[in-house]
Amino acid sequence: MLRAAIRSLLARKVRLVLTGLSVVLGVSFMAGTYVLTDTMTAAFNELVDTGYSSIDVLVRSSNAFTAQTSSLEEREPMPGSVLDVVAGVPGVAEAVGDVVGYAQIVDPATGKVIGTFGPPTAASGWNELNGFTLKPGGSPPQGSDQVVIDAATAESHDIQVGERVQILFEGPPGEFEVVGLAGYGEEDSLFGATWALFDLPTAQGVLGKQDQLDSVSVVAAEGVTGVDLQREISAVLPEGAEAVTAATVTSEAQDQISTGLGFLRTAFLVFAFVALFVGAFIIFNTFAIIVAQRTRELALFRALGASGRQVLTSVIVEAFVIGVVSSILGVVGGIGIAILLKGALNATGFEIPASGTVILPRTFVVSIVVGTLVTVVAAVVPARRAARVAPIEALREAQDRPGRSLRFRLVSGAVVLALGLVPLAYGLFGAPANALQLVGLGVAFTFIGVAMLTPMIARPVAAALGSPIRRTGVPGKLGRENAMRNPRRTAATASALMIGLGLVVFVAVFGASAKASTTAILERTLKADFILTSPTFSGFSTSAAEDMRRVPGVETVSQIRQAESHIDDGTAFVTGLDPATFEAVSEVGIVEGSLTELTRPDTIAIFEEAATDNGWGIGDTIAVEWPATGEGELEVVAIYSENGLIGDWAVSLETFDANVAQRLDVFVLIKAQADADVAAVQSDLEEALAAYPNIEVQDQAAFRDKYATFLNQVLNLVTALLIFAVIIALFGVMNTLYLSIYERTRELGLLRAVGLTRRQTRSMVRWEAVIISVMGALFGVVVGIAFGWALQQALASEGFSELGIPGGQLAIYVVFAALLGVFFAVFPARRAARLNVLEAISYE
Amino acid sequence: MSAVHEAVPPAAAARAVGLTKIYGEGDAAVRALDDVSVEFEGARFTAIMGPSGSGKSTLLHCMAGLDAPSNGSIFIGDIDLTTLSEKNLTLLRREKVGFVFQAFNLIPTLTAAENITLPLDIAGDKPDKGWFDLVVDTVGLRDRLSHRPAELSGGQQQRVASARALVSRPEIVFADEPTGNLDSKSGHELLGFLRSAVKDHDQTIVMVTHDAAAASFADRIVFLADGRVVDEMLEPTTERVLDRLKSLEA
Repeated sequence: MLRAAIRSLLARKVRLVLTGLSVVLGVSFMAGTYVLTDTMTAAFNELVDTGYSSIDVLVRSSNAFTAQTSSLEEREPMPGSVLDVVAGVPGVAEAVGDVVGYAQIVDPATGKVIGTFGPPTAASGWNELNGFTLKPGGSPPQGSDQVVIDAATAESHDIQVGERVQILFEGPPGEFEVVGLAGYGEEDSLFGATWALFDLPTAQGVLGKQDQLDSVSVVAAEGVTGVDLQREISAVLPEGAEAVTAATVTSEAQDQISTGLGFLRTAFLVFAFVALFVGAFIIFNTFAIIVAQRTRELALFRALGASGRQVLTSVIVEAFVIGVVSSILGVVGGIGIAILLKGALNATGFEIPASGTVILPRTFVVSIVVGTLVTVVAAVVPARRAARVAPIEALREAQDRPGRSLRFRLVSGAVVLALGLVPLAYGLFGAPANALQLVGLGVAFTFIGVAMLTPMIARPVAAALGSPIRRTGVPGKLGRENAMRNPRRTAATASALMIGLGLVVFVAVFGASAKASTTAILERTLKADFILTSPTFSGFSTSAAEDMRRVPGVETVSQIRQAESHIDDGTAFVTGLDPATFEAVSEVGIVEGSLTELTRPDTIAIFEEAATDNGWGIGDTIAVEWPATGEGELEVVAIYSENGLIGDWAVSLETFDANVAQRLDVFVLIKAQADADVAAVQSDLEEALAAYPNIEVQDQAAFRDKYATFLNQVLNLVTALLIFAVIIALFGVMNTLYLSIYERTRELGLLRAVGLTRRQTRSMVRWEAVIISVMGALFGVVVGIAFGWALQQALASEGFSELGIPGGQLAIYVVFAALLGVFFAVFPARRAARLNVLEAISYE
Repeated sequence: MSAVHEAVPPAAAARAVGLTKIYGEGDAAVRALDDVSVEFEGARFTAIMGPSGSGKSTLLHCMAGLDAPSNGSIFIGDIDLTTLSEKNLTLLRREKVGFVFQAFNLIPTLTAAENITLPLDIAGDKPDKGWFDLVVDTVGLRDRLSHRPAELSGGQQQRVASARALVSRPEIVFADEPTGNLDSKSGHELLGFLRSAVKDHDQTIVMVTHDAAAASFADRIVFLADGRVVDEMLEPTTERVLDRLKSLEA
């Protein structure tokens, strides 16, 4: 039996390759993700080692809070006097203070800011201990007019030593002469961040940290260990400061990196699993078709004395071999993908150090085990079907065997669908801790359930889709009949496409809903005439708002800041706003209390639903953990119903600034005087913003467009990654067509004999592909809209008030699926057209 | 019926000239047909007989444009098949030739009626309603037209195939062991129908068979052995055919 299984594998090479391909692609994605993230982790760890290699102890503020959404730690600076305290400790050979903060370099050639998306943009003091090294031909920065910038930024924007550059800060921007370029260890940059380095007094000045320090780097004297020195220093530090060894800082930083890359890995792995999931459908379908085609052969084995178990084993062995071989090829392909992805990330600005590719044994083991497992599991149902073939069937004419009853399929499909919908609904609406996993599981089972039910409607759907095609002539008519003749096969092939396209459609619906909801919210609440934002909604200097107040015709300027903090042990984005002016520029829908109460210290306004969910009312105090200052308590003084712009938690700017280290405005809302010429005010605002190339001033309509465009960019990336799954599904269409053509050899011979031309034969196969593809696309559209609707319902209270269905975009997807179906049918169609008529007729 | 009775073609409906077909190469080469020249008259029912391996099926396949000869010429009417491109050969099969095979004559997804009109549909032609009805009634399929092949008996399937071969009024119909899979009653019905198509409607039919009783329905029998035409018989009867076959095999 084993030999028979292997023989059968080798006998059909095209089938083998196409079946294996679906596994190869999915495994490649997975292995590629591992290789890429492992490579990045190794490279970054090395970089961190370099950075702390020359120090023994680091002194820093002890209030820390690691934000989930930002790689930069937020710590309140220490008083500058801490340096003298540290320097005075016996055993300290050298102690150097440093500050770090937000800074953005402006490209002198284009006048645009550098680094608006992705890696951090920062400034710090220049010293010998922080890891930066001066490139030849430059000198260290001295005085308030000089800066050293990282070599990678200088290179990519063609900035020369001696040139003058403008740099933006939290406070007013400044202009400096570039006196040198710096590398970080062996590299030209630190993770692709843009970095501006000043002498310490200048850095303290531009970063708004006069007489303050963020850290003190300490080198121990000869013979003193870091651990000992850390203990010595800790003993004399004032409250609010702490000393840690270089080893501790290094491992903290490396932990942070692996957490950050962990997110990236998980994100990519999700797409890899989607691809494998689609691949599993194709494996299942291929084996189901093969088993049906080999019924007589299998029955002959049974008649010759093979047990059902042996037949089952032979099919499983076939799947196992395909799985192992494809997975190994997948790992090889994955290494290629990793190199491609690395290039893609580099192109978006993340500088990945050019060290060797890291391939861990884990990558091989996990990829091959998962790939093989998916293949074997997908083949189990067809294998069981094979084992049930009765010996007598060897004697019957080959024809489609009746499957299990429709009732059985209906019931089992509905059960699986329920198994998907329940965790999906609970994950979305029940808000459990592991919501993401539940939703993922729910989505997977929902897809399987729908796929189990689709054979019941595949026939009428194919008939309906094919009815306009039928009129195009005999090839169209035959193509339609072929798509209808085996609903299970058509449905399974279409289902693979449904999954990929369903997710793409879901993303599109999500995007359209977000856009529609945002527009609705902004139209309802925004009263400002102009909005200042940076292109990527990152923060910008607070001095911009000050400058705006001086523009003639401006009545109100209201600043909004945002920071991550913890409220009631959960991550929360807290908004800082100006209670005196905010209601003039935006509707908040006060339910209870008043915003003006926020002027009192340690008070907070909360969103209606957050209040109800937690049972909080006016006068209650809630626990908060701030990024810079740590734990505190806030009194609820207002409850509001409009959270579109300010989220669920809002405090006054004073409270915000007292507790958050980085003070950048995210939005500045401006209202013009009632009698002012709005267009003139806008041009005056623009003029006043000339010094801030990273800020845009927009009216409401432009602002809404920008928001939508930003969202689309993110969603397009997700869609691009999902296209992988769609491509795999299309290979599935190709595989099914090949298998069907093989099965219909005699029929094709007959058609050719009675006068069907090769062109007509190709056309017939293509029409079948179109029907299958469009069916899959339509199923995908239906399921995708359903998922989008479910998510919108779940997020309705978060401001997702509208369901948007981008009809035009979805129509394009369907048309595109049809065209791709035609494209992937080219080879099977050619195969069908080239059949030798005589051989085909006498084919047994 | 006038159209059918007046135009009896004077020349052969199809002929082979010096037809040779060799399979394989070198030592393994097999001469399936060896310089065969034969004519098939119009409006006649010709049977080709011969022992297994005599080349009778190869001759039929070459005559029908399904197989390309190694040497020689084949004419359907006055068109030389060996000069035609693949596409024109397909068009010729569609327009001038009808087929009945031993088995698997029908497309399983199409109804009996759709199978009958398939060659016309492929060509984009409309069937002649009167002729279609006549053919369908002659083969007795009126009440089976909307059935799919799987719902028909073997005899019914072959009658559908015959109806398909005739409905486009081809110049010549080739039948390859059409009764091979049928019981003798169904076989006789089918042969009677083919015979009446020749007698009543001047259809030209060439049939390969190894069954003497089937061959006795023909006007003329061409005997093949070892790739050559070895004999002919007109107005055959089952007994005479059996005698002749015995002498051929001796």
